[in-house]
Amino acid sequence: MINEERVILMTKLASYEEHEGRRNMKIINYFRSDYIALQVLKSIFSATIAFAMLFALYVFYKFEDFMQDIYKMDLISFAKSVLTYYGITVLVYGLISYFICAYKYSKARRSLKTYQQNLKKLHSLYGER
Amino acid sequence: MTALLELRDKIKEIYARNEVLIKPLIKFLIAFVVLVSVNSELGYMSKINNIAIVLIASLMCSFLPSGCIILFASLFSVLHMYAVSVEVALFGLVIYLLMFLLFFRFSPKDSLVVVLTPLLAFLKIPYVMPIAMGLLGTPASAVSVGCGVIIYFLMAGVKSSVPAIRAMNAEDITSKLRLIVDSLLQNKAMVVMVIAFAITVIVVYLVRRMSIDYSWTIAMVTGAILDLLILLVGDLIYDTNLSVLSAILGSIVALLIAKVIEFFRFCVDHSRTERVQFEDDEYYYYVKAVPKMTVAAPTKTVKRINTKRGGDEYYGRSSGGSRNAQTARNAGSARRSVTISEDDYEDYEDYDEDEELF
Repeated sequence: MINEERVILMTKLASYEEHEGRRNMKIINYFRSDYIALQVLKSIFSATIAFAMLFALYVFYKFEDFMQDIYKMDLISFAKSVLTYYGITVLVYGLISYFICAYKYSKARRSLKTYQQNLKKLHSLYGER
Repeated sequence: MTALLELRDKIKEIYARNEVLIKPLIKFLIAFVVLVSVNSELGYMSKINNIAIVLIASLMCSFLPSGCIILFASLFSVLHMYAVSVEVALFGLVIYLLMFLLFFRFSPKDSLVVVLTPLLAFLKIPYVMPIAMGLLGTPASAVSVGCGVIIYFLMAGVKSSVPAIRAMNAEDITSKLRLIVDSLLQNKAMVVMVIAFAITVIVVYLVRRMSIDYSWTIAMVTGAILDLLILLVGDLIYDTNLSVLSAILGSIVALLIAKVIEFFRFCVDHSRTERVQFEDDEYYYYVKAVPKMTVAAPTKTVKRINTKRGGDEYYGRSSGGSRNAQTARNAGSARRSVTISEDDYEDYEDYDEDEELF
């Protein structure tokens, strides 16, 4: 005989596995620190590329000024200020991504906890036979 | 009102049953409208300003993930910018790449918002977007709405600078770049709109989540008024040439659309027919779970009970009372059940707690 309660629970679980669960399981496969570290590293990489693009655009925008002042300007202090801006960009973006990833990880863990409780419930339903 | 509710449920039912067909169709339509509007706004490269190419790209979008619409739209706009000048295309590419690198990593789902915001701005009703995203999304949607506004102003900036850029010599690389960068960065109207929309999204979201009666309606009205106020104040301070009449009319249209969104909100969130497969020791299950309707169609049946006993007649609505449906409700699934015995559903009445709003 088909047990309706079991089918309903299994359908819910299968639907979860197919959509939200797949994404959450990918996250939960990592330890919390590993997941966050990897994501923050990716963010630093993205922020570096973004900063490089913006800097290139800035140089391009001020190309004529640079050409005029290139022998007069203090290149070391200019490089220092560019590096400071780079550091601030990476730090702020890294921090934002740290908080987002920590939130995502805890959300995924909570969601999978409910899933596991439902699995246990299903197990007990099979145990009743 | 009941007729409207029934109509809504009919639409939901049709959507739930034909989701496999309707979803690609909607994606196709959105992609088509977006690409046609990009072509009509920019349209400098004649090779891609061609309905056949738009149709092919839209067809591809219909079965690819929804993020591909923004990919195609940005590709089209960068190609049009390239037809104007390489510098403009370079600037456009940098803006799109910045958005992809910094923002879409975290919320790829919101990519449709970034496409729809400029589209609605071309139609003069961008005010819909912050209210709609406040109602349906999260505070993070403020960033995607902001990105959409920036893309709109980028395209508008390119369009307005084209005569000046075309008049320049090919060697004036820096001047061309300066012109296009200044058209975006020194555009106060853009800054005011980004700030107004971001605040509106957050306020609408916060009010919508309050545990008060009519929170959705209060949220959308508050959002529309606040949006209008910030835009007007911005216009006074920075002289952004805001057309007050069109802003007021746009906000009223935005409110009407938000009301429609409120009415259909469950369609957006929940109506999804699930087809899942699993097995246990005894069976293979191929289950199709159809979302349950919240208002039953008035299929009143008259039942005669105990007619033999002194002719007492009870008239009543058939409650259906299907055990299957009851079990589904008990399992905490108010809108989804398993189609083991679909026959009983028509009569089953299941009011969701949110339905009390109507």
